[in-house]
Amino acid sequence: MKEKFLNDQMTNRILFILSLLGVAIALYVTQSFLRKTPIVCLNSGCELVRKNPASYIAGIPVPAFGLIGYTLLVLLTFLRTTSTKLHKTLLPWIAGITGGGVLFVSWFTYTEAFVIGGFCTWCVISAGNMITMFSLSLYSHSHKK
Amino acid sequence: MNLSGETKLFLGVIIGTIAIIVLAAVIMSKPTPPAPAYTRNQLIPIGANTKGNASASAFLVEFSDFQCPSCKAFSSVVESLTEKYKDKLFFAYRHFPLDQHPFSRTAAAAAEAAGKQGKFFEAGTYFFANQTNFSDEFFAKAASVLALDATLYEKDRNSNDTKKKIDDDRFFSDTARLPGTPTFFLNGKQLILYDSSELVKAVDEAVK
Repeated sequence: MKEKFLNDQMTNRILFILSLLGVAIALYVTQSFLRKTPIVCLNSGCELVRKNPASYIAGIPVPAFGLIGYTLLVLLTFLRTTSTKLHKTLLPWIAGITGGGVLFVSWFTYTEAFVIGGFCTWCVISAGNMITMFSLSLYSHSHKK
Repeated sequence: MNLSGETKLFLGVIIGTIAIIVLAAVIMSKPTPPAPAYTRNQLIPIGANTKGNASASAFLVEFSDFQCPSCKAFSSVVESLTEKYKDKLFFAYRHFPLDQHPFSRTAAAAAEAAGKQGKFFEAGTYFFANQTNFSDEFFAKAASVLALDATLYEKDRNSNDTKKKIDDDRFFSDTARLPGTPTFFLNGKQLILYDSSELVKAVDEAVK
């Protein structure tokens, strides 16, 4: 029998922590967008991104969408702990949301590179976080009993 | 309600996270005192690089860094505003070289040296346009590109006067606690800008 590198419980815990990390990042960046305050950043890309109209979809800051997605993922990973049935049924939802998230961050990373011309450190971290979560959810899905 | 140990653990983490977020929100929502307004003389000291009408009642001051991508994004807007309102607006460029940009001080010194030969803003435009090509060689060659007296340019960009001028601007930026680059002051008041269109709007209003 194939040995699992991570068991289901541990994978869900990691997904949960990464979702909370995503919420924290998205919340911080969203409030900076809304309050028009400078974002603490490793480079000057965050301000370039914040001040560019391409970082808003129909007037809504891009990180707000991340906040919604990560909050949903916190709820789903939490609900998975409440029953065995939900533990199984919610995994495809998590894979679906993180898959959508990967498409979203890919689009935004492309926008940062070719439209805005600068990268926001937090967006890059969040993109990496989303890709990790998607990979973990796929891993968990492919190893489920 | 019978919760499993895992559910309780997750709930605890969620509650802890919410508590931290609420605490952070309370701290961050404390009203910040309004940014002080500055006089024209404080913002535009003698020797500052300026253009436009010095007698105009409206004055715009930009604190900027030649290696900052946001400043580059704003530079074309500033250029068109200063051209459009050259009779109604007095504009000053001041240095806020950020520590994370290795060539920001070199660029500022090179622009100052070009300024001594009457080409500060030409140098600025050239530097913003070539921001990704910055190197020691780039600044050494800038004299010939900008048709400057190379000997004088080299002397001025390495002079103590130039260094002091940049240091003074940076000191002002730090003591005024400017939030980043670019920061604009219009008629002495710091602008909180969403994007460059808001700068255009503010200047349009001010010169009416």
